Amino acid sequence: MLEPFSYDYMLTALWVSTLIGAVCGLLSGFITLKGWSLMGDALSHAVVPGVALAYLAGLPFALGAFTSGLLAAAAMSFVKLKTPVREDAVIGVVFTAFFALGILLISLFPAQLDLKSIIFGNILAIAPGDVVQLVAISAVCVVVLALQWRDLLLFSFDPNQARTLGLPVRRLHLTLLLLLSATTVAALQAVGAILVVAMLITPGATAYLLTDRFGRMLLLGSAIGAVTAFAGAYASYFLDGATGGCIVVLQTLGFFLAFLFGPKHGLLAAGRARRRRCLIPPALAP
Amino acid sequence: MNAATLLEPFRHEFMLHAFAAGSLVAAVCAVLSCYLVLRGWSLMGDAISHAVLPGIVLAYIAGLPLGVGAFASGLLCATGTGWIKRHTRVKEDTVMGVVFTGLFALGLVLHVRTPSELHLDHILFGNLLGIEPGQLRQIAVLSGLVLTVVLALRRTLLLAAFDPSHTRALGFPLRTLDTLLLTLLALAIVASIQAVGIVLVIAMLVTPGATAFLLVRRFDAMLAFAAGGAVASTFIGVYVSFFADASTAACIVLVQALGFVAALCLGPRGGLLRRPRPATAQRA
Repeated sequence: MLEPFSYDYMLTALWVSTLIGAVCGLLSGFITLKGWSLMGDALSHAVVPGVALAYLAGLPFALGAFTSGLLAAAAMSFVKLKTPVREDAVIGVVFTAFFALGILLISLFPAQLDLKSIIFGNILAIAPGDVVQLVAISAVCVVVLALQWRDLLLFSFDPNQARTLGLPVRRLHLTLLLLLSATTVAALQAVGAILVVAMLITPGATAYLLTDRFGRMLLLGSAIGAVTAFAGAYASYFLDGATGGCIVVLQTLGFFLAFLFGPKHGLLAAGRARRRRCLIPPALAP
Repeated sequence: MNAATLLEPFRHEFMLHAFAAGSLVAAVCAVLSCYLVLRGWSLMGDAISHAVLPGIVLAYIAGLPLGVGAFASGLLCATGTGWIKRHTRVKEDTVMGVVFTGLFALGLVLHVRTPSELHLDHILFGNLLGIEPGQLRQIAVLSGLVLTVVLALRRTLLLAAFDPSHTRALGFPLRTLDTLLLTLLALAIVASIQAVGIVLVIAMLVTPGATAFLLVRRFDAMLAFAAGGAVASTFIGVYVSFFADASTAACIVLVQALGFVAALCLGPRGGLLRRPRPATAQRA
């Protein structure tokens, strides 16, 4: 059982996954409240061409991914502003185009680019330079969230009230978008482009089912993210890979447990409450 | 480059199969995309297409036709999302994200645990150039079925996509219509997997509808434009990928995206190069 801990690469994978899980979990509270799940999905696909180009040019992957993600976000808001097409369709058109460009690049340079590690992540073979980038990204995100979480909370919860209170709404919007892009880039290494969105919403959605206080929800989401990422990376040692799959399966399992057995908002608790309510009317009925 | 080189792709049987299968899939997805774009369900195609993975792997283990597993698993995602949505306070898009990533991850883990001849690459990115006659027949049957149902019910489905409340007020069974649209969507995705793969089918289910929406105002014209544009893009994409030696699915999607950009710049509805009009010219 302790065998995974005797390998250096497993130790690195375990603590890096835990770190990424915790940071994504922290941010996921904001993303679920804001209703940006589709945006997370879109950005995680849209970073692929940037990653491919960065690897081809020998630049840090985070730089390419970040640029590509921001370009996609800019393209989405531009198209949304200029056309009557619905927002979700615009997001769909833009991110699939970016993703296709990435796949095209990978298919043109199969020798230099590893499709599998970009699409599914490859935390077990992460390079030391990439670890440094991930730690830096995580540190920046945590610091920004620690300084701004109250303003971001109000903005996620009710942008109109935030504006009324004189908060800089446009800057907060941009901050959240930058944080989302940054964590997407970080999570890409752990679980790969397709499953990043799970890291960015599932812990938050699970925590939202378990508590009514936002501060607690953030910490709970972060804890869920960290624990599932650690357990998933550990389990993947025995499954010969698919680290991302293991982490996300555990997160989804956690969501279902919260959905069924949550103390207040779970399915069973809600059913009990409904039955209790139903017991009263017959006595009152004429 | 002489004429012989340009006609080279048409001399290979596998290329002819690729053109045929690609065009069928493109037409079906384009027609559905018109409804999805109007209904605001673009994410649904994304979700169902990812969610088919565990079904494919389980069907392989059980020795069933892969399409059956894919269909069941895709439909499970769509109905499961709806059911969970009705029983929690979590937003619908979040529930959908949780469910489809969970199913996809389950599929990945199952795939790693199952020693098999299933090529994950082919499921994810399609294998249009390796379509066999049997698969082509299957695609043709599924596409024909979906197209027939959609075109037969196009008015009712349009009403449901355009204004769900009005549909209910008129006495149409909205829940049934929604389920029907989801079923058709799942069938179309099953047919498309072999051609473009589950990752890029989402583009075929959004881009043609969005492009046509920029170009025309009448729904029947939108259907025709979307289908025609998608078939043409597929044709060009497959043709280009033959010479560029690049991913076929990616080429098709990029040609479709270029079509969208062209419609955006030149289209009569808010084309950027036309006379400037207020950005608030929203759809009625």
